[in-house]
Amino acid sequence: MSKANKGLSRRGFLKGASALSAAGWVAAGSTWVLKPEWAHAQGPIKMGIATDITGAIAPGGNSNWQVAQFTVKKINDSGGILGRPVELVLEDTASDPGTAVGNVRRLVQQAEVDVILGGITSAMREAIKNPIVRRGKTLYLYPQLYEGQECTPFLWCTGPTPAQQCSELLPYLIKQGNKRFAMPSANYIWPQLLNEWARRVIEENGGEIVFEEYYPLDQLEYSATVSKIMNEGVDHVFNTVIPPGLQAFTKQLYEAGFQDKGGTSSCVYFDENAVNYVPQRELEGVYSCLDWFHTVKDPFSEQLLKEYAEMFPDTKYLFSAGTGSTGMYRGIKLYEQSVIATNGDLARDAVAGALDSASIPEGPGGPAKVVPGSGHVAMNMYIGRAKGGQWDIISEAKMVDPDECGKT
Amino acid sequence: MDAAIKLVFDILAFASIMVLVVSGLAVIASLMGIFNLGHGEFVLLGAYTVYVFRGEGLPEWSGMLAAPILVGIFGLLIEASAIRRLYKSPITAMLATYAIGLIIREVVRGLIGGQYYSIDEPIPGAFLVGDLSFSIWRTVIIGTTVVVMAGCFLLLTRTTIGLQVRGALENPSLARASGVSTTKLYSMTFAFGAALAGLAGALMVPLFSLSADLGVRFLVQAFLSVMLGGVGTFEGPILGAAMIGSMVPGFQWLREIPGVAVAVSPVFAEVLVFVVALTIVKFRPNGLISKGRI
Amino acid sequence: MAAMDRSSEARQRVVRVIPIIEGLLLLFLLVLPSFASDFHTIIATRMLLLCLLALSFDLCWGYSGIMTFGQALFFGMSGYVIALLANKADFLQIWGIVPIGMLVGLVVSFFIGWFLLLGKRTPTIIFVALGTLTASYAAERMVAGWQWVGAGNGMSIYDFLKFGSFEIEPGQLFYYIALGFVILGYLASRWLVRSQFGLVLAGMRQNEERLAFFGYRVQAFKALVFCFAGMLAGLGGSLYAHHEGFIGPASMGIGLSTFAVLYALFGGFGTLIGPILGVGAIEVIAFVLSDQDELKNYWPVILGVIMLVVVAYKPAGLLGFVVSDRERIGTFGKVPKGGRGGSA
Repeated sequence: MSKANKGLSRRGFLKGASALSAAGWVAAGSTWVLKPEWAHAQGPIKMGIATDITGAIAPGGNSNWQVAQFTVKKINDSGGILGRPVELVLEDTASDPGTAVGNVRRLVQQAEVDVILGGITSAMREAIKNPIVRRGKTLYLYPQLYEGQECTPFLWCTGPTPAQQCSELLPYLIKQGNKRFAMPSANYIWPQLLNEWARRVIEENGGEIVFEEYYPLDQLEYSATVSKIMNEGVDHVFNTVIPPGLQAFTKQLYEAGFQDKGGTSSCVYFDENAVNYVPQRELEGVYSCLDWFHTVKDPFSEQLLKEYAEMFPDTKYLFSAGTGSTGMYRGIKLYEQSVIATNGDLARDAVAGALDSASIPEGPGGPAKVVPGSGHVAMNMYIGRAKGGQWDIISEAKMVDPDECGKT
Repeated sequence: MDAAIKLVFDILAFASIMVLVVSGLAVIASLMGIFNLGHGEFVLLGAYTVYVFRGEGLPEWSGMLAAPILVGIFGLLIEASAIRRLYKSPITAMLATYAIGLIIREVVRGLIGGQYYSIDEPIPGAFLVGDLSFSIWRTVIIGTTVVVMAGCFLLLTRTTIGLQVRGALENPSLARASGVSTTKLYSMTFAFGAALAGLAGALMVPLFSLSADLGVRFLVQAFLSVMLGGVGTFEGPILGAAMIGSMVPGFQWLREIPGVAVAVSPVFAEVLVFVVALTIVKFRPNGLISKGRI
Repeated sequence: MAAMDRSSEARQRVVRVIPIIEGLLLLFLLVLPSFASDFHTIIATRMLLLCLLALSFDLCWGYSGIMTFGQALFFGMSGYVIALLANKADFLQIWGIVPIGMLVGLVVSFFIGWFLLLGKRTPTIIFVALGTLTASYAAERMVAGWQWVGAGNGMSIYDFLKFGSFEIEPGQLFYYIALGFVILGYLASRWLVRSQFGLVLAGMRQNEERLAFFGYRVQAFKALVFCFAGMLAGLGGSLYAHHEGFIGPASMGIGLSTFAVLYALFGGFGTLIGPILGVGAIEVIAFVLSDQDELKNYWPVILGVIMLVVVAYKPAGLLGFVVSDRERIGTFGKVPKGGRGGSA
């Protein structure tokens, strides 16, 4: 056992470590850290990233991690925050909440970071928020689009909420003539709470919900569901089935001729990665609503995308909205703004006070602004429609309110 | 009426997949007495073969043709290197196959990077009969299953190899004494079972998506099918597979019945399949069709 | 114990290794927190709780020939009940948690055992193996789809385990509590397998039919062991849920069940100390490897290889390297006066 203790260095493992060693990677004691290239008398600001580098969510986690590196590199290249460089510390949450609890503890207690960003699934956020915020007394920023209703103090959600994703998309769909909605869903918390919101919006706008059903995440057989969709005159399928069940469902729906008969569907986590999940012909015409698509005409976003591609050429981990990468960028930049506002004071209460009204003038998809007292962020939302593997931007809504925690 | 026809078609399609998966498992279990816990991973390998072929720029159907052959050869190697020394103890062999399955699964997971990949069917789309649309690929699967099963049946009943297999099944020592090389026979059986699994994986992957857990998903259901149908017969496991294969989509329709709708959520319907199958096996331990009829 | 040596030939006059291992291990475990950091003490506590699971599997397979592929079911089920108690009823008292956990394990294993083991016909070993596998798989999918128990998210326990109003945080104190329960569980198991009852079990291992002819209700004995093992696993699960502050569907599914098998096989099944060594060895390897960038992703593959090698080439496990087959298999019951001679 004692031997094992010695072997404990460098726990936060990094897949592309060799490639990144040139970028300043060092094994410092217990965790992989990205050291800035220059120093400051007060030392660096330590930023902890806890995300899924391995396991089932790894594609999303690695995207988040690359975006974190990208964003921090940009900050450091332009002189750091008030002259202090930012140091990144990574812990792998391994797509397993059980493992994550232990690893996050290390970020808080051993690396003593000033802020933690990360977590993708709701299960992960639920598992790690307690060790970070409550027991660890550290700020936590959660980047992914999610089901809402997270109002824990010192926890900020920088991704879109159900209100943001639904309140533009669904009225638009109903205006297009879709009246009867079906809600096939994967059985976990995100679809459940998202559907609750969607149901309200649909009914307020004169739509009607034919059914709302929850399946095991990896269910392979949807004939009963598809038959009901076909037989009961459903106009629009508001789909929250996730992989691996997703493909079986979309295929059965497609083959039953739903699209051919004029039916449409939407899936609000679909982004540029969607073509990996679903063949292009089944994806054609599907709607999504996110805070950014690569096709958004915004000079700053386009520049970001270009620089990201330069830093990670040919990467399979995209800088896209569906995996929390936009929330990660936003979170880091909002934190930067808050520290500037406190004049360099990193104490949790001070930064939290500044974060409560922080805003950034530009980012992926546009500006972002924290809604005071809500712990959530107002941002631009885009309705996209899949066409030839790209997302056509149907409409843009400026600074949509997250409508969470009783604050609008 | 339309709905009923669709229901039958969908059940038939899913049951066909089950039959393909199960027959490979059953062949090995019947003849060698080994429950191959790595069977799901042979299915996965079949699916993975299609993915690799596609990655090389070859059409999907070529991968599907190659899958049973490659997985069969792989099965042959596994049998010769590990399984052969464990014939005497079925439980140990079962553990070994589990370990092999774990290795295959995790290697594949590493190779595909934990992602889910969609794979196109060689013939996409659906055809219309009247107002009803039927998936072409599902029809192909049903047809293939019927052909393969008929082929297996003829092989068993009409050929010398079939005679040897039946003999070895009835009485291995007598078969050996009569000059049948059971070692060779077992190797061939294992390879054949693996090949069937590979075929099943290759055919089903366009319907679902490729992920490392594709095979595991079918494993428990496949086992129950074999237990349900009865080990040692040709038609038993096929019947068992057909039953499980119908229950899986069939129970999902239970919630369309007014009154029980609330109780039968999709999750519950899935668990119900296991409960029903286990209970039947409990009261008919030898399966629906007793041994010794091939 | 010395009677055995006296009674037999020179070839048997070997030093008995197992008591030495037991003693050394106990000593090591007692002093561990004094030189390990808090973080490592917590990791070690987790391993101790897994030992209860490993032990429970070994009682089934190593001692009574029940191939259970679903031992985590009892572990996880009890963890879920405990998490529910904490979250829905605010009940965190250790004096209640422990017996409730054991009871849950006992009750669930009783029903599973009753269904799979008892009945007019003797079930085949394969039926039992697949039955336990299915039960654990079905239970995992059930809780993963059940919103009230957190579905796929599982359940977090935010508050610490308590005794009265005193909070037992994961750390040294929790470690010693866990160690205490592991020792108790170990002693209880040892008592069970060395008693007259254990003698019957040993007879069953040798030849089930012969025992049945003697009039023993073999299946009832098996069911009893199964229940006892379920209780042990339940004990482990209840403390595990509190220690980790989290329980999820994976804690009752095939994954963890397989680990139970692996622990016992790797350490050496059919001895009580083997599974414990197995937990230590496998978990320490996993822990060390998680720091090795190149190897980490291949850990499950390595596990598979280990399992295959052990099953095919070294069925006696780690313990087989230091303990003779005779000692490994033959240590049950009190040795009657005049020695036992060749019981095989």
